[in-house]
Amino acid sequence: MSINENFAHYSNLFIALALVGYAAAFFAYCGEWAFGTSSRFGKSVEKVGTAAEGVKLGKQAAAPKVEAVNAVDGGNGVTVLTRAVAEEEEPTIAGDNLRAEIVGRFAVMATFIGFAFHAAGVLFRGLAAHRVPWANMYEFSCAAALAMSFAYLVLLVLRKKVRWMGLPVTGIVLLTLGIAYTLLYTDAEELVPALHSYWLYIHVTAAVISTGAFGVATVATILYLLKSANEEGGLRRFNSTFDRLPSSVALDRTAYRVIAFIFPLWTFAIMAGAVWAEKAWGRYWGWDPKETWSFIVWVVYAAYLHARATHGWKGKAAAYVALIAFACVLFNYFGVNTLLTGKHSYAGL
Amino acid sequence: MSEQTQDTVGTAPAADADPPEPVEQERLTEDAVEAAAAERAEKLSTAPRTDDGIAVPSLGALGMLRWTWRQLTSMRIALVLLFMLSLAAIPGSILPQNSIDPSKVTTFYQSHTKWAPILNDLRLFDVFESPWFGAIYGLLFISLIGCIVPRSWAHFKAMRANPPAAPRNLKRLPVHASFSTTAEADEVLKLAAKRLRGRRFKTVRGEDRAGGWVSSEKGFLRETGNLLFHLSLIGILIGIAIGHFLGYKGAVLVTEGTGFSDTVTSYDSLTLGPWVGAQDLPDFSFTLNKFSATYQESGDQFAQPRTFDAYVSFKSSPSAKARNEDVQVNSPMTINGTNVFLEGHGYSPVVEVKNGKGDVLFDGPVTFLGQDEYFDSSGAIKAPSNVKNGTDLGFQGWFLPTAYISSGAMPASIFPAAQNPMLILSAYSGNLNMNGGEDQSVYSLDTTDMKQLNVKSKSASASAGNALELKVGQTATLPNELGSITFVGVKQWAQFNIAYDPGQKVVLPSAVLAVLGLIGSLGLRRRRIWVRVTEQADGTRLVEVAGLARTEGATPTAEVTQTAQSLAAAVRQPVPDGAPA
Ligand code: HEM
Repeated sequence: MSINENFAHYSNLFIALALVGYAAAFFAYCGEWAFGTSSRFGKSVEKVGTAAEGVKLGKQAAAPKVEAVNAVDGGNGVTVLTRAVAEEEEPTIAGDNLRAEIVGRFAVMATFIGFAFHAAGVLFRGLAAHRVPWANMYEFSCAAALAMSFAYLVLLVLRKKVRWMGLPVTGIVLLTLGIAYTLLYTDAEELVPALHSYWLYIHVTAAVISTGAFGVATVATILYLLKSANEEGGLRRFNSTFDRLPSSVALDRTAYRVIAFIFPLWTFAIMAGAVWAEKAWGRYWGWDPKETWSFIVWVVYAAYLHARATHGWKGKAAAYVALIAFACVLFNYFGVNTLLTGKHSYAGL
Repeated sequence: MSEQTQDTVGTAPAADADPPEPVEQERLTEDAVEAAAAERAEKLSTAPRTDDGIAVPSLGALGMLRWTWRQLTSMRIALVLLFMLSLAAIPGSILPQNSIDPSKVTTFYQSHTKWAPILNDLRLFDVFESPWFGAIYGLLFISLIGCIVPRSWAHFKAMRANPPAAPRNLKRLPVHASFSTTAEADEVLKLAAKRLRGRRFKTVRGEDRAGGWVSSEKGFLRETGNLLFHLSLIGILIGIAIGHFLGYKGAVLVTEGTGFSDTVTSYDSLTLGPWVGAQDLPDFSFTLNKFSATYQESGDQFAQPRTFDAYVSFKSSPSAKARNEDVQVNSPMTINGTNVFLEGHGYSPVVEVKNGKGDVLFDGPVTFLGQDEYFDSSGAIKAPSNVKNGTDLGFQGWFLPTAYISSGAMPASIFPAAQNPMLILSAYSGNLNMNGGEDQSVYSLDTTDMKQLNVKSKSASASAGNALELKVGQTATLPNELGSITFVGVKQWAQFNIAYDPGQKVVLPSAVLAVLGLIGSLGLRRRRIWVRVTEQADGTRLVEVAGLARTEGATPTAEVTQTAQSLAAAVRQPVPDGAPA
C-alpha cells in the first residue's frame, strides 16, 4: 500500500506543534517553581533554616519525620485511624503564591495540549504508513516520549500527587522529541521485510512503553537522591525547592512502584522479541548487540529489585543501580543503534 | 541463607520504603508476645541462622563447606553475580563474535595484530561460549536453586499454616478502624470471619485474655509468583541446554532453478548438537523456483528493501508430492518440525566461457556476494580447461545490478534491483590450481599461477581500467585467441537457514510462566487484617479492625475501612460516636 503523503505531512506538523506545546509547558513549570519560592511555605522553611543554624542543627531537624495519626469519620459510627509521616502531606509547588498557581495551571494545560498534538502526530504517522508508528528511530523516539507524557498525565488525571514530575517529564519529552525531530527524522515509508510481522506491534509496543516508564522512574530516582541528600543536610541553598518535593521516602517508593510495574512488561518485551527472532532468523536468542543490551538492561533492573531486598543495599545504593540500569536503556537505544552493527536494523535510522 | 532472605518474607521489606512500619513492627512484637511467636515461627528460615553472614566460622572442612554454600545462596552473592553477568555480556556486544560473524573476527585480527591474540586467549571473541561466562551463570543458577528450592518448601508450609494470632494492641497498626456495638462478640466475629473469607482471605478465629479475634491474610500468590518466576528461569536454562544438545542448524545458498536436499554434504555450513548424528537429519528437499525482491524507489529511504519472496517447491520426503510455498523473512517454511528461514539474497550472473577452439569450458550461474546496500557484488568465475594441462581461464570482479558509469569514477551500482546489470571483470589465464586439494574460496581466484590478460575493450569506459565490461547478451573475446566470455543473463540466489531446536518446547512455556510469575510477584500485595472485639466498661463492645501490609507501602487502608463499615452496617447496633478517641 502506498504512503498517504497528506497524513505524513500532518504528522510532521503535529509533532512540531507538540514541541511548541511542551516548550510552553516546560517554561511555565519553571515559572511555577521560581515564583513559588517566595510562598508562605518557602518562607517558613527559610525561617526554620535560620533558626537551626545557630544551634548547628542540620536540615534534618526541620524535616518532619513525626508520625501523625489522622482520624476520619468513616460513617456508620466507624472511626478510621491512619498513620502517616507528616511530611507526606504533600506540599504544593506554588505554595500560596497566586502567580505561581496561575502559571502552574497554564503549565498543566500546555502539557495536555502538547500531548494532544503529540498523540495526533504519532497517530497520523501510523495512518500515513498503514502500520504501527514505531518502526524506526524517529518514530520510536516520538512514541516513547508519548508514553512518558501519557504516564504522567494519567497519574495527574487519577489525582495522584505527581505535579512535581511536570518539570522533569516535559523537559525530557521536549529533549527526546527535539532530538527525534532534528536528528533522527526520516520520511514515513513502508517497512523493510524484516519488520513485516505482527510481532512488530507486540514486541516494539511493549518496548516503547517500558522505555517511557523507565524514564519516569529515573526522574523519580534522581529526585530521590537529591532530596535525600538535602534531608541529610546537603544542598541547603536549594532548601526551598526541595521542601516542595515529596519526601525522599515517597520519591523512592514512586520509583520502585513504576519499575516494579514495568519490569514484567520489559521481560515480556524481550520474550516477545525472542519469539519474533525465532520466526525471522531461526533462533530465538543469538547475542546480537541489541539482544545483549536488552538482556543487560533486564539483569540490571533485576539487580535493582534484588538490591531493595538485600541488607545493606537498600535506599541509595539501590537507587544508583536503577540509574545504571537506565544508562543501559539509553545505550541500548542510542549506542547500539548507531555504534554497533547487528541484525536489528531500524530502517533509515 | 542469611538474614536478608528472611526479612524479605517477613514484614521488613516494607520497612525501607515506609518508616512507620518497622516501628509498628517492633512495638507490635513487644506488645503481643504470642503474635510475635507466630510471626517468628512463620518466617521462612531455610538455613541455620547466621547473624553475620560475613564472619568466617572456625569450623572444619564441613563447616567451611556449609559456610560457602550459605554465602553462595545469599541475596548478596546473587546480587553480585547479577552484576557480573551484565558486565560480562558487554564485551560480547562490542567485540566481533565468532558465533555471530566469523568474518568480522578475521578482519579484526588483521587490523589489531597485537591485541587480537590476547583477546582471543581471553575468549573475548566467544564471550557467550567462554568458560568464564559459563562460570558466572552457572554459579548464579546454583545460587538460585539453593535459594529458591528451600524457599519453595517453606512457602508451601506457610501456605498451609494459619495466619498468626492477632496482636494485642491493634491501634498501633498502620491502619485501624473501630466502632462500638451492643451486638454479641461471637456474632460480630463470626460475621467478620465470613466476610473476610468471602474476600478470599485465609482466616482463623481465636481468643485470648483481651477477648476474641479474627486473624486473616491474603496475597500468598505474591510469594508463589516469585518462586514460580525463579523456577521458570531454571526451566528456560534446561530448554536452552536441550536445544544445544539435540538441535542442529545449517545454512544453504540456493540459486534460482537449483535445489537442496537435506544431506550433510549439501549444507554450506552445519552445526550438529553433540547428541545429533548425520543420520538424524530429515530428508526433505526443495527447489528455488524464483526469488523476487522489491525496493523503495524514492524518498529518503531510497533503496530500502520492501518485500522478499522466495518461491520454492518442496518435498517433505523423497517420495512425497512437491508443494509450492512462498518463504518470506518473517514466515519460515516448516517441514516436520524443522524450520527453513529466508536469511539473505544476492545475484548470480549466468556466463558462458569458451576456449580458443570454441569448446564450452563453463556455462551457468556464478554466485556473487553483495557488498553494500546497492548490491555491488564481488565474485569469481572459474573455467578450468577441458584437457589435461591445458590453459585454465579465470575472471574476477564485480557484478552491478544497476550500473551507472560516470566519467572519472569507477562504475558503481545505484540501485539494488537488476535494472541495468553489468559485469566488470579482470581476465586471467594460466593454472587455477583447482586440483591442488586445498579448499579454495569460490568467491575469489588464486592468481599465483595465472597471468592477467590485457582485455581493455573498445567499448569499455576509461574508468574500468584493465577490465571487461559486459552487458547482458554481450560477448567479449579474449586476446591471443584464448577464448571468449558471454554474459548470458542474471539469476538470483537466496540463502536459507535450516534449524531444528527441540528445546523451544521447554523454553517457551517456561518463559510464559516466568512472566506470569513476575506479574504475581510484583503486582500482588500481601496483607493481613485482624478483627478484635473487647468488652468495654459501659457494657458495649468495641470492634477494632486493623491491617498491616507485608509488601512495600501497600497499607490496606481501603480494605480495613470497608470491612469495618460493612461490619458496622451488618450488626446494625453501632453506638453513635462510640469509638473512644
Ligand atoms: C537468574 C537471575 C535472577 C533473576 C533475573 C532474578 C530476578 C528477580 C526479580 C525480578 C525479583 C523481583 C521480585 C520481587 O521483588 O518481588 C526477584 C526477587 C527475588 N529473588 Fe531473584 N533473580 C535471580 C536470581 C536469584 C537468586 C540467585 C536468588 C537467591 C540467592 C534470588 C532470590 C530472590 C528473592 C529471595 C527474591 C524476593 C525478594 C523480595 O521478596 O522482594 N534470585 N528476583
